[in-house]
Amino acid sequence: MIKIPYFSALSTYFSFGLFFVFGHVRDFFRKILDFFHSSNLQGYAPICSGQEDFYIRRLYHRIQDCFGRPISSAPDVWFDIVHRYSNDHNKTMKRTSKVTRCLNLGSYNYLGFAAADEYCTPRVIETLNRFSPSTCSPRVDGGTTTLHKELEECVANFVGKPAALVFGMGYATNAATLPVLIGKGGLIISDSLNHNSIINGARGSGATIRVFQHNTPSHLEEVLRQHIAEGQPRTHRPWKKIVVLVEGIYSMEGELCKLPEIVAVCKKYKAYVYLDEAHSIGAVGKTGKGVCELLGVDTADVDVMMGTFTKSFGSCGGYIAGSKELIQYLEYTSPAHLYATSISPPAAQQIISSIRVILGEDGSGRGAEKLARIRENSNFFRSELEKMGFEVIGDYDSPVISIMLYNPAKIPAFSRECLKQNVAVVMSAFPAVPLLLSRARICISACHTKEDLLKALEVISQVGDLIGIKYSLAGSNKQHQEQGAKKLDRDSRIPSR
Amino acid sequence: MYVKAEPTTDVNRNTEWFTYPGVWTIYMLIVFMSWLVVLSIFGCSPGMAWTIVHFCHFAVTYHFFHWKKGTPFADDQGIYNGLTWWEQIENGKQLTRNRKFLTVVPVVLYLIASHTTDYQNPMLFFNTLAVFVLVVAKFPNMHKVRIFGINADH
Repeated sequence: MIKIPYFSALSTYFSFGLFFVFGHVRDFFRKILDFFHSSNLQGYAPICSGQEDFYIRRLYHRIQDCFGRPISSAPDVWFDIVHRYSNDHNKTMKRTSKVTRCLNLGSYNYLGFAAADEYCTPRVIETLNRFSPSTCSPRVDGGTTTLHKELEECVANFVGKPAALVFGMGYATNAATLPVLIGKGGLIISDSLNHNSIINGARGSGATIRVFQHNTPSHLEEVLRQHIAEGQPRTHRPWKKIVVLVEGIYSMEGELCKLPEIVAVCKKYKAYVYLDEAHSIGAVGKTGKGVCELLGVDTADVDVMMGTFTKSFGSCGGYIAGSKELIQYLEYTSPAHLYATSISPPAAQQIISSIRVILGEDGSGRGAEKLARIRENSNFFRSELEKMGFEVIGDYDSPVISIMLYNPAKIPAFSRECLKQNVAVVMSAFPAVPLLLSRARICISACHTKEDLLKALEVISQVGDLIGIKYSLAGSNKQHQEQGAKKLDRDSRIPSR
Repeated sequence: MYVKAEPTTDVNRNTEWFTYPGVWTIYMLIVFMSWLVVLSIFGCSPGMAWTIVHFCHFAVTYHFFHWKKGTPFADDQGIYNGLTWWEQIENGKQLTRNRKFLTVVPVVLYLIASHTTDYQNPMLFFNTLAVFVLVVAKFPNMHKVRIFGINADH
């Protein structure tokens, strides 16, 4: 259920309508002006077919300075953002050599492994010297080192499955695995807010794709019943295989998947469950083992567990964990395993070391401390934002916090105002999110100290007042909220600890 | 004041926005506001203003709903490139509430425009032509039909 203030909905539609009208008017005049300007591109096909670059040219480029800001340091809690300027109204951006130290609220640095770590980095450098930066070969040729075998065992143990397979790129893990898991004659039922890599893999598989309402197990059951009863399209034969694709934490909403209910529904109708834990592995759960641990689901009930190492482990790549037979099958069919270069050895070592830290096998309690801190930080930040009156979506315990903006003009306003006060946030606009639901997405790290979070809250509160996004304050208990907020302001000057 | 919206199952971002609440209201508000604007700029009679609004509405909706094909972004890898916006909404399901609403709006505008101009002739002809083209384009039988190959893919 999505709740939108009615006036924001109307004004957002109007704003986007205005942008589209202006964009089309400018395109019209551009076409007229270009008619007189001959080009020497006879015989070449156009790069973009139809209007597919309209959004990029006429909407995205207007606020390009809010996206893709180059950074010149490791994405730690404080990092250096490079200043850019534009001479042609943001159509092209030029870098300068000036940098500013900003608070990082955008990187997926859940456990703080993004910058140098006292346990991981020396071991990674040693591996770099021993093995070299790249294996220069796919796994089946010469790209399987002892490190890769160790990594796969480590990941399988960590996730709680008999075996695992590791790939060099997280997106490619989904895009290359789904087509070999299911093909024509199969049915894929995917959550409506799944990531582009899952959609890409599903489309590449050739199976029939159906979508169920986001995180609604009752609708999933309805879709399953309807499609099992009807069978394949036209022939009405029974489906060869049914796979349900869900994510652990949805990256744009910060919501946890309703995994126990979905697994129960899938068991009832004998469908396979494919869980993408890109954002939840290592970040949630008592020992960091993901949503299965957090929600109490037995890992044997989830048939294929997929995840990436980019978020909590400070590395790159993705993994698929499942039964031994599944992994054996993927080893000889998955194109990412057969043809793509295997994961870089230093990256593999970073994953192994960070898993050791998380499990406490390095001899210190840092892993448990990090996990406790990220939970505390996320819950603290979320509750403070809600108290201030922001529309925050997502569940407690999830490190991804989305502040709703709705109007498109508030996107660059929020981004630029926060940057002026040295806080860097990531904005999400159409088409990554639905048209009405533009948001600022904050990713909390275990390395954020209380002072950092309080500074961020202060800046966000000021900016929120300036651009008017404290929608929850406009309710009937506005006075009460304001009193509560004033009390918070007084208390937050006192550092806790 | 909040509105609730059921999350949609439409993956096509180009058309999914039409299923959220507030679209019908803003559509009617924009049409009404543009009538007021036309009336204040041109200083013509209300009937003439409604005819102008009806015409511009015809031009704009025909162009965007039934002429432009594909989506304005490249994320979906061009799977909708052969379909106009009208053919894309709600995955091609016909006779849904949104489609019925969008079919009724030009007819209502036509009735208002012809009533306020007292059914006088040059305007009546053009108005009737406009509404005829728009309503026929929205028939379920016209789904993916390209007359004489106009606007077909190459």
